[in-house]
Amino acid sequence: MILAVLFANSEGNILIERFNGVPAEERLHWRSFLVKLGADNLRGTKNEELLVACHKSVYIVYTVLGDVSIFAVGKDEYDELALAEVIFVITSAVKDICGKSPTERLFLDKYGRICLCLDEIVWKGYLENTDKDRIKRLVRLKPPTEF
Amino acid sequence: MAQPLVKKDDDQDDEVEYSPFYGIEKGAVLQEARVFNDPQLDPRRCSQVITKLLYLLNQGDTFTQREATEVFFAVTKLFQSRDIGLRRMVYLIIKELSPSSDEVIIVTSSLMKDMNSKTDMYRANAIRVLCRITDGTLLTQIERYLKQAIVDKNPVVASAALISGIHLLQTNPEIVKRWSNEVQEAVQSRAALVQFHALALLHQIRQNDRLAVSKLVTSLTRGTVRSPLAQCLLIRYTSQVIRESSGNTQPGERPFFDYLESCLRHKAEMVILEAARAITELNGVTNRELTPAITVLQLFLSSSKPVLRFAAVRTLNKVAMTHPLAVTNCNIDMESLISDQNRSIATLAITTLLKTGNESSVDRLMKQITNFMSDIADEFKIVVVEAIRSLCLKFPLKYRSLMNFLSNILREEGGFEYKKAIVDSIVILIRDIPEAKESGLLHLCEFIEDCEFTYLSTQILHFLGIEGPKTSDPSKYIRYIYNRVHLENATVRASAVTTLAKFGAMVESLKPRIFVLLRRCLYDNDDEVRDRATLYLKTLGADDTAAITDAKEFLFGSLDVPLTNLEASLKNYEPSDEPFDITSVPREVKSQPLAEKRAPGRTATGLAAPATTTSTIDTYESLISSIPEFSSFGKLFKSSAPVELTEAETEYAVNVVKHIFDGHVLFQYNCTNTIPEQLLENVTVVVDASDAEEFSEIASKPLQSLPYDSPGQTFVAFEKTEGPTVGKFSNILKFTVKEVDPSTGEAEDDGVDDEYQLEDLEVVAADYMQKVGVSNFRNAWESMGPDCERVDEYGLGPRESLAEAVTAVINLLGMQPCEGTEVVPSNSRSHSCLLSGVFIGGVKVLVRLSFGIDGQKDVAMKLAVRSEDESISDAIHEIVASG
Repeated sequence: MILAVLFANSEGNILIERFNGVPAEERLHWRSFLVKLGADNLRGTKNEELLVACHKSVYIVYTVLGDVSIFAVGKDEYDELALAEVIFVITSAVKDICGKSPTERLFLDKYGRICLCLDEIVWKGYLENTDKDRIKRLVRLKPPTEF
Repeated sequence: MAQPLVKKDDDQDDEVEYSPFYGIEKGAVLQEARVFNDPQLDPRRCSQVITKLLYLLNQGDTFTQREATEVFFAVTKLFQSRDIGLRRMVYLIIKELSPSSDEVIIVTSSLMKDMNSKTDMYRANAIRVLCRITDGTLLTQIERYLKQAIVDKNPVVASAALISGIHLLQTNPEIVKRWSNEVQEAVQSRAALVQFHALALLHQIRQNDRLAVSKLVTSLTRGTVRSPLAQCLLIRYTSQVIRESSGNTQPGERPFFDYLESCLRHKAEMVILEAARAITELNGVTNRELTPAITVLQLFLSSSKPVLRFAAVRTLNKVAMTHPLAVTNCNIDMESLISDQNRSIATLAITTLLKTGNESSVDRLMKQITNFMSDIADEFKIVVVEAIRSLCLKFPLKYRSLMNFLSNILREEGGFEYKKAIVDSIVILIRDIPEAKESGLLHLCEFIEDCEFTYLSTQILHFLGIEGPKTSDPSKYIRYIYNRVHLENATVRASAVTTLAKFGAMVESLKPRIFVLLRRCLYDNDDEVRDRATLYLKTLGADDTAAITDAKEFLFGSLDVPLTNLEASLKNYEPSDEPFDITSVPREVKSQPLAEKRAPGRTATGLAAPATTTSTIDTYESLISSIPEFSSFGKLFKSSAPVELTEAETEYAVNVVKHIFDGHVLFQYNCTNTIPEQLLENVTVVVDASDAEEFSEIASKPLQSLPYDSPGQTFVAFEKTEGPTVGKFSNILKFTVKEVDPSTGEAEDDGVDDEYQLEDLEVVAADYMQKVGVSNFRNAWESMGPDCERVDEYGLGPRESLAEAVTAVINLLGMQPCEGTEVVPSNSRSHSCLLSGVFIGGVKVLVRLSFGIDGQKDVAMKLAVRSEDESISDAIHEIVASG
C-alpha cells in the first residue's frame, strides 16, 4: 500500500497531501516527520535525485523537483523499489505538465492538472498508471494510444 | 498553508509573484461554488472553482457536513455539461468529497449512465467513483457491469475495475470472490498493467487457498509476465509458496529456485533485486544458492541510483545476521558507502560492516564511524551504538577502542534515547568484560558530571553503588558521587546519598569519610535526601555485627516481593493506626497475560538486564527459602528457564522450572487455569521417576487453590546422588475441579477429582552447568594449565551440517560460547569452538572443541577440557560420551 504522497514547497509548507490507510491522528506526525526529513537532507540535492529512508517496516522515497519536494511513503509490496517507480512517474508527469522543473508558482498554476495526474497515478494506495503520455491522455478523458 | 511567494522567476527578475491561491478563504470559495447552479454553465470557471476546492481539501481544510452536502449537490449539476475537462474534474471532486451514503443516491444514476457509456474513459472513471462511494446493496446492482469491465478491451477500464476489486475485497469479500474467473482471464491480458493489477487481486482472492496460489505461481512462472511490477509480485508469491512447501520436499531440491535464479538475469533492476532478496530469505539457504544473489547485490552497491544502493545494502544487512561470512566479499564496497550522501544507506553499511568485520578491521572501522557519527540523526546513531555493543561482545579483546568510542559519543550532544542506548551498552560491556569495568565506570562517572537526564543519572548512581565498591580503588568514585549531592535535583541527590551509603557499607576504610559526607546531607532542603542520610547514618553507625549485616542486607538486598505486587498492595493500603505490613504482599509472580507470553522474548538490554536476571534468581531463592520443606537444601546453584509442559492454548497452562542444588533437585510447576468457569483446588503434580533411578522423591507442596488466570505454583523435590545425575520424569497434573458461576464468581461446594497429562520432563547434564563467559579465552586457558586437562576424540556420525553438530554439542554441555565461535561459516569443512562455564560445585570449566566433516557428512570431534578438578574434566567427557 502507498501510504502517502506528499508535495511540499521549499519552506516545508504542504502543497498536496494524499494519505491512504493512515488514521487521521497519525497524519500530522507523518507530515512533520517528512517535512523534517526533507529539510535535513534535501538541501543541495540535484533535481530528481532520489533519497531513501526507512522507519521500521515503512519506506520513504523522496526527491526534489524545482521548488517542490515530493515524498512517497509505502509498506509491504510498496518498498523502496516500487516507491522509486511511483516517484519517477510522478516527477515525469509533473515535468510534463509544467514543461520544466516547476517553480512553486508554476506548480500552483497547474494545480488542478497535477491533482488529476496524481489521481491517475495513485489511486487509493495502489499504483494505477505508469506512463506519462498515457496519463496525459487520461486526464483529458482520451483513451490510451495503444488501444 | 502555502505562503505568498516572494521568489524571483528566471524571466521576470523584478516582479513579485503571488500564489494563485493567495488569500484563499473557504467561505468565499463556497460562495463561488454557486456557479455550479447556473443555467448556462461556464466549464472553465467551474473547473477553476473545483481546483480551489481541491486546494482547500489538500491543505487539510475540512468542510462541515452541511457545507460538504451543499457542494456535493451543486457538483452533481455539472453532469449536465458535456465539457470533457470539467467532467474529469467532477469525477475527482466527488471522490474527494466522499459523500455520505444517503447522498450518494443523487449521483448514482448519472454514474451508472457513464458506466455504460460508449466513451471508454467515462466508463473507467465512473467505475472508480462508484467503487469509492458505493455500499453493499449498490454493489450487487453494478456487479454485472464490473465483471464485464474486468475483461474490457480497454486496459484503462479493466485496470479501474481490478483496482476497485482490490479495495472492495476489504469491505465486500463475498462479492469480489465471485469475480475470480474474470480476474483469471485478466491475468493473461496482453496489457502489462492489467496483468499486474489482476495478479494482485487474484492473489488476494486466493491467498488462503495454498493449492490455488501454488497453481497460479506454477503457471505464471512458466508463462509470460509483462511488467516488472507484476514480476516482482510473482517473485514474492513464489517465495511464499517455497516457504509453505519447505516441509514436503526432499533436501537438496528446491522448487522454483531456477525461476528465482533466472530473475537475477532480468533486464529490470527492480526484478533482479526482488529475486536476490527472495533468495537470501529462503529457509536454510545454502552457500551455493546464496552466491549468485550476493554477487548481484554487490554490483548494486556501487550503482549510481541511491534507491538501488539502499535496497542492496538493506538486503545484505539482513543476510549478515545469519550468514556474515557470505557478505564479507562486499566489505570493500560497503566501506565506500560509509560516506554516502544518503544517511540511511551509510547507516546500513556501517551496521552491516560491524556484523561482518573481523577483529583486525575493528580499529579502522571505528575511525571511519567516528567521522560519520556527527552528521546523522539520533535514530541512526542508536542503531550504530547497538551494533557496536554486539561487536564488542564478539571481540572482547577490542573493548578498549570500542569503549573509548562509546565514551566519546557519550560526551557529545544527543537526546535521551540515544544517551540511554550508550549507557546501556557501557553497562553491558562492564558486566560481560571484567577488564572493561574500571574504565567503563569512570566513563559513566564523567558522564553524570554533565548529564541532563535525571533517569540516567539515578540509574548510573545505582549501578556505581553496586560495582564501585568492588573495584581496586573505590575512593576515586566518591568525588563524582558527592558532587551530585551539591549540584543536582532532589531525585539525583537522594540516589547519590544511597550510593555513598553503599560504599560506606562495603569499604570499611572509607566509612569514616563517608560519614562526614552523609552528615552534610542532613541539612539538605529535601525531605527524602535528609531522611535517607539520617537512616544510613543510623544503620551504618551501629556497633554490633548483626546490625551491620542488617544494614548491608537493607542496602543491597532485593525486596523479597515482586515490585508490581508491592505497588498494588501499597495502593490498596488505607492510612490507619496499623502500619503497612510488607509480609502481607503476595509473593507469587503473576505471569504475563497468556497472549503476551507466547510472543518471542525480547532481548533484555542495559541497566535493566543485570537487575532482571539477578532478581529472577533472587526471587526464586527467597521463594524457595520461605518454604520450610525446602529451606534446608542449601545454596541454589542454578534455575533453568521455564520449560513448557503443555501446548499453547490448552485449558491448563503448565511450565516447570528446574532448581538445582548440590544434593537436590526441585521442580517448580507454574500452573495457570485458563477456564473462567472453573476453580481448581488441591493441585499437585504426580511425578513418575521410574526412568530416573538416581532420584528419589522426598517432598512435595500442593497448591491449595488455582482460580482463573491467577497463576500459582506447586513443587516436587527430589534427593539425588552427587554429581550431574540425569533422568526423565513423567508428570500428571491432579486436582479437584469446581464449577464457577460466571455471573457471581462463586464456586460450587462440591468438586470432582480430575487429572491432566503433562509432557515429560528431563534433567540433563547442561542443567548442572552455569553459562559464565570469559573475556579472553586464551589467557584463561593458559592460566588454567594442563594439569587437569583431558583430551579425547569422538565420532558424531552423519549430521545435517557442521553448524548443526556444533550447536548440538554446545546445547548438550550447556556452556557459554566465547568469542563468537558458535557461528560456523557456511560450507566450511572444519571448525573450532571455545566454551566456558561453571560446573556444579563452583568449578570453572573451559572447553576447546575441534570439528571436522567429511564428504558423507560424518562429523568427528576432538574435545579438550581444562578445569580446576580432573574429576570434573572426566565428567565433561562422560557427558559427551553418553550424549
